[in-house]
Amino acid sequence: MNNSLPRLIDGMIATLRGEIIPHVEGDFARGQAFGLIYMLNSIRLRAAWSNEFLCEQLQALDEASRDLEGVMTDLPGAPALTLRAPSGLPTAVELESMRDQGAARVCELIDWLATHRAGAPAVAVARAEDIIDRYIHRQLKWELSTSAKPMFDEISRGSEKGA
Amino acid sequence: MMEATRKQSNPRPPLRAGSAFSDDGSARGGTFEDVGALRLRLGDYLSEQTGSPVAVDRLVKFPAGFSWITYGVSVTGFAPAAELILRLGPPYGLFAPYSAMPEFLALSALRSSAVPRPRAFYASDDVAILGAPFFVCQRVDGDTPLPWGGQGSALDGDRRESLARDFIDSLAALHGFDWRASSLAQWGESVTVDNAAALQIEEWRQRFQRWALRPHPMAHLAFAWLGQNQPKASRVAIVHGDYRLGNFLERNDRITAILDWELVHLGDPIEDLGWAFLPQYRGGTGLVCGLASEADLLARYEARSGASVDRGALKFYIVFSLLKLSLTHMAAARCFEDGRFNDMRMPAMATQMAPVFRQLEKALERSS
Repeated sequence: MNNSLPRLIDGMIATLRGEIIPHVEGDFARGQAFGLIYMLNSIRLRAAWSNEFLCEQLQALDEASRDLEGVMTDLPGAPALTLRAPSGLPTAVELESMRDQGAARVCELIDWLATHRAGAPAVAVARAEDIIDRYIHRQLKWELSTSAKPMFDEISRGSEKGA
Repeated sequence: MMEATRKQSNPRPPLRAGSAFSDDGSARGGTFEDVGALRLRLGDYLSEQTGSPVAVDRLVKFPAGFSWITYGVSVTGFAPAAELILRLGPPYGLFAPYSAMPEFLALSALRSSAVPRPRAFYASDDVAILGAPFFVCQRVDGDTPLPWGGQGSALDGDRRESLARDFIDSLAALHGFDWRASSLAQWGESVTVDNAAALQIEEWRQRFQRWALRPHPMAHLAFAWLGQNQPKASRVAIVHGDYRLGNFLERNDRITAILDWELVHLGDPIEDLGWAFLPQYRGGTGLVCGLASEADLLARYEARSGASVDRGALKFYIVFSLLKLSLTHMAAARCFEDGRFNDMRMPAMATQMAPVFRQLEKALERSS
């Protein structure tokens, strides 16, 4: 894959919009195609080539670099390859799991506060609730700032404004 | 004609709901989505029900709707109508598993009311007949103004005022309907003014547990708030459950039918107002469902229904409705993630969870 992910997605969207959708018959089918465009736009805002893919490339470089060390003494003046792949870099799946475990603990704390607030110190409850509110706000702000513009009208009607 | 289906002797092999899935579990069009097979099946079924030959001349799938599959049906030999609507609840749908009976029973009972709605003909949850729970009703003439794309702003002047009157009056008529004197009395045994809110919270909490793909602190926060702020209902009424712009048909500036009764239940009538008040249905206007200001809607509703609207209860049901909407988006995410449905509207719909959570956050800030 030689192109950047955002450019590939832009190209897919342009092709769908310009070359495919005009030739698709039926509002429902065209609506599905607009759904594809919307999802591609959404992916574009969050996706990158996967950690696993890049890690393997880095590890290959790391291995080559280590192997070359033994050869470099016989090649005076040759540029040395000194790359070291970071060890223990989490995969995307591991990061997602860490996030979900943390969010689950926040949920448990919210539920606990809802049932124990009467017997707990008011100041501590208020402080905990304030921290939870700020956490939720920050998460939502990030989520919204990385979301594509909705296309529900196009998806429902199978056409774009002015088309 | 208004009764649920009677048993039919089926001359064709049954359509299997399970055939909607491939061997590897991924979603695939079910046989009930095979227009050719469905035409024959439906013709057989209607013939069986009426006792005379009914031919299905045409079946056209409609793009609208996120849950039930809707077909426009042209028939000959069916005396009550030549144009019908067939609704099927697929096993992969948003709120699956489905039953056609609540919607069918409600529409049947409301036949004696002033609520504009399609006439219901038949319904069955027997998947051996058409492959999925279904009901057949009259096709009502009209178009559907949609809440997105700023189309609400197109509802201007006399048209808007006329539709607003119908929208409010129909809701008042629905909530004023004497369900205890109808076949819906069977629904009312466990619903009281004291537990109407609690029953809905619990129902949606169970759905949340089924649908959530990951932990959602905002939903927990909202459930906690709702649990602490439950209002007592002033009365128990039929609640449409999805009363809004986008769920009615209009023709010549009049509402010809209220649609999509799949969430109908008994409860606090203010629940419907809370849902209609959601910002999502304002169509880019500041008006409730793009039709009327909050004050005008409440004033007319109170005058027509003869019941005052408790503003605290309304606030509660707006929060409840925002949570319910976010959970509906969760259902879409679940449905797509499980591979039950490849409809691209599902992941698109699921993206709206965060904006609704943000509105929920603001609503709770205002309410605290």
